[in-house]
Amino acid sequence: MKFVTVTALCLASAMALSGCKIVPDTAENDATPAADASGDAARIEALLASSYDTELLPHIAAKAQSVATLRGQIAADFAAATAEHGASGAGAGAPVNFALKDTGTVVASKLDSRARTLDLDVDADGTADVVLQLGPVVRGSALRDVAPKLYDFTSFRDQIEFAKLGRALNDRASGSLTIPEGDLIGKTVGFTGVVPLKSAKDKWLVTPVALEVMP
Amino acid sequence: MNLKRRLLVSAMAVAMTGLMPSFAAAADTIAIITPSHDNPFFKAEADGAAAKAVELGYDTMVLVHDDDANKQSELFDSAIAAGVKAIILDNAGADATVAAVQKAADAGIPSFLIDREITASGIAVSQIVSNNYQGAQLGGEEFVALMGEAGKYAELLGKESDTNAGIRSQGYHDVIDQYPDLELVAQQTANWSQTEAFTVMESMLQAHPEIKGVISGNDTMAMGAWAALEAAGRTDVIVVGFDGSNDVRDSIMKGGIKATVLQPAYAQAQMAVEQADAYLKTGSTGVDEKQLMDCVLINAENAAQLETFALSE
Repeated sequence: MKFVTVTALCLASAMALSGCKIVPDTAENDATPAADASGDAARIEALLASSYDTELLPHIAAKAQSVATLRGQIAADFAAATAEHGASGAGAGAPVNFALKDTGTVVASKLDSRARTLDLDVDADGTADVVLQLGPVVRGSALRDVAPKLYDFTSFRDQIEFAKLGRALNDRASGSLTIPEGDLIGKTVGFTGVVPLKSAKDKWLVTPVALEVMP
Repeated sequence: MNLKRRLLVSAMAVAMTGLMPSFAAAADTIAIITPSHDNPFFKAEADGAAAKAVELGYDTMVLVHDDDANKQSELFDSAIAAGVKAIILDNAGADATVAAVQKAADAGIPSFLIDREITASGIAVSQIVSNNYQGAQLGGEEFVALMGEAGKYAELLGKESDTNAGIRSQGYHDVIDQYPDLELVAQQTANWSQTEAFTVMESMLQAHPEIKGVISGNDTMAMGAWAALEAAGRTDVIVVGFDGSNDVRDSIMKGGIKATVLQPAYAQAQMAVEQADAYLKTGSTGVDEKQLMDCVLINAENAAQLETFALSE
């Protein structure tokens, strides 16, 4: 009997609490994670579940070009390449993000770090053209910013929530990569990913969403 | 009430430029409301906005809210009563400011926010903020390298009501926490204040004399911490700040503080005025409401190029 009373009290207080919760009126909030920072993890998990495989990866695949093609476009006219093939995220001074799909030979690797990388030569001149960052520490927010229509800063509560999305996308992408054991120098590697560039002179640091090391 | 308002406006409008016959008849005035100019960052913002407004032919009404949301609300009343055409605002609290901006919007006056966000969209016309997370990651990476990826450190946090305090701390930790040999032994707010940071740093040093580094949420707190470290003869401690102030630039060039992260405050304020001008003339800014501006790492290599929150090429 006492137990029932306590349960009823708990229910009542829970209802009272949920009754005054303020939730932004957006489509993905129907499951009502808290609107403040305490609900960020649940909201971002839901957003990833509804968008990563079904929208982000197809978007990157559809926009992806080879390194040589993109390099040619950028050398000709960076602004035109940006307008045609890039996405510049939420504002000024930010890099332009381009989707890439290519294959290259590993010429250098750093796999004993928290920020693992593979340097790939894609044009067979013996020097690295792109650096793939394999995580778990991934720099930047290229995966988020390559799809500004899908992930629109204005629809997020604040920078904190938007930053958590960037981190979650990086974690999701790097967590999905399978990197074989052993020395990879000389191996052929195929990848799909996103490169953020501020100018034609930048080093190409790619955040991959898919990676295949050929046998 | 009206008299009080007028007195307040006269007292606050310390830097009014141009000729305005009376507040009520303000024809084309832009109000520029920021925290206290004691912090050079906010002074640079206000100066940048005022310079651009004058260049575009507006009068300006420059006010400071001292990070007091009530005072900010009164300043909004004053600006609305004065009939300003637009408000450029670096606000006094992400939640508390929503009502003030709404009040201006209801009076038909658009607000253009800089530096700090509010927790609602669709009320202000623009919210242009530095990409604090990206900047904090730059500062965090530099701090990790300076620390040699190991050692005990302390963190000075900004004002809790300001989203920027939380986002910078998160950016720092998303990088630093990846290194298991870096140990956070003390973390405390100094509310963006130089004097508070001095006191907090003194007590942190007493409790944890073994600390090797201090990461600070802004430059004024980094300056306060550095002064306390110098007073204690602990100039071996690595300090990294955030903002890119001339004070910290000078300290970096003298081998004191090791690094900071530049927020393009001057350019940001100018951009807000340009968007206000476009909005007043065409009814649209042509850009999204919320916009991020990337930050730049400042250390001994490029400190000499820094002047008043702008980096020369």
